[in-house]
Formats: sequence, C-alpha cells, structure tokens
Amino acid sequence: MTDPAPRSSPRPAAEPVAVHVLLFSVLRENIGQPALQVDVPHPASVAALLEILEARYPPVASYRSVLRVAVNQAYAEEEAPLTAGDEVALITPVSGG
Amino acid sequence: MAARTFLRRTDTTWVQVTPEVLDTAAADAFLRTGQAGGVVLFVGITRRFTHGRETVKLSYDAYVPMAGQEMRRLASEAAQRWPVHRACLLHRVGAVPVAEASVVLGVACAHRAAAFAACRWLIDTLKAQVPIWKQETYADGSTEWVEGQG
Repeated sequence: MTDPAPRSSPRPAAEPVAVHVLLFSVLRENIGQPALQVDVPHPASVAALLEILEARYPPVASYRSVLRVAVNQAYAEEEAPLTAGDEVALITPVSGG
Repeated sequence: MAARTFLRRTDTTWVQVTPEVLDTAAADAFLRTGQAGGVVLFVGITRRFTHGRETVKLSYDAYVPMAGQEMRRLASEAAQRWPVHRACLLHRVGAVPVAEASVVLGVACAHRAAAFAACRWLIDTLKAQVPIWKQETYADGSTEWVEGQG
C-alpha cells in the first residue's frame, strides 16, 4: 500500500492512522453526523482515539464511562491497536429486543 | 449508505435484521423438525405504555452488519451450551408500530427445559450485547433513546 521509503531516510515519521468512526442513536443525534474521519497519531489504539473524540465532541465525553467500542464489527478492548482504514463504532448502552 | 439488512440462513440457523414485518409463522415453520420435541418462540412486541408514559412511535437503530454477526455468535454459543437443533434470531429495525413484533427468537430442542433455557438466554444476552437501540416517541411529542443496563 505505502510507497517504499527512500533509502536516505531510514526512519520515516510514521503516518497518522486514519480511521472511520461510526455513530449511532444518541451519539449520532447529539453530534449531528453518522460518521467521522479521524486521524490518530501513531501508535494508534482505541484508547488514543477515544481521547481525541472526547476532547473534540462533548457528547462522547458524557458517555465515555459507559461506551463500548467495536473495531471492524467486533467488540474491542481499549488497548486494542488501530490500523489505517479500520471501521470503529462507538456503542452506547444497547436497547434492542 | 449503510446496510439496512442482514441475512444468514442455513438449514439449522436463521439470523436476520430487517426493516420488514417479522413473520412469526415462518419462524415457527423453520423451527419444526422431527428431532425436536420442544419449540420455544419468544416474540418481543412494542409496548404502548412504559412507566405510565404513552408511546406513539418506536424506532430501532442498529449497526446492522455487526448486529447480524453478534446474533450469529449468540446462536452458536447457545448451541454449545444447550442441545439446540434449530434456532432463529430475527430483529426488526426502523419504525415498528405499537403491538408489532420487534424481535423473534426461537429455539428447537429435543426437550422443553433446554428450549426454554436457551431462548431465555438468547433474549437476555441479545438485549445486553447486540448493537441495536430503541427510540421512543411519546404522546407529548418528546423523544428518547432508551439506554439498556448493559
């Protein structure tokens, strides 16, 4: 995917990790968008992404303590790493049934 | 545009998320097999009154592909815990008029005890795990996203 790094720069700066964040129910309504594109600095994790979102979107901060996160359609721990193109969903307490 | 439907149907397991009316008769027919002496079918119905407030409209939002995957996972976990011959897990999304089915969960086992236990576990676990959210619109015009207990 990435271009080969020039030989003259042995340690190229790591690109931020671009992820696609999906919002549902109360978060989609309060933030006013169904999805967000977010760049997470390397090394990216679920926790790092949440920190960015919390600072940027007050509704995320208010649901932070009860929020679960899914990465590529499976629940993930906060320590889970993120890679470019991941689909991340913010899951407030569910109420199906 | 996000997917609004999910469907995986084999000879033994039927998982579906759909904006269409749920067909309980089709679920019953799917669960019938000569191996199973007990079929338990749970039908969750949208209710008009909750804690004294009148609901005029109910709507379900879902992360449809993940909801479908989670429901498949629940079906396979139920089959590991109980001797399940067939299972169906159907959930409706979008607007669901009062008194219509929002969820249909069915289990077919050789004997009733396992069928009751597996079906009870499926609905309890679905309500806690599957990324689907209910929005109530009350008679006074206010709306509320219901938050489950997790």
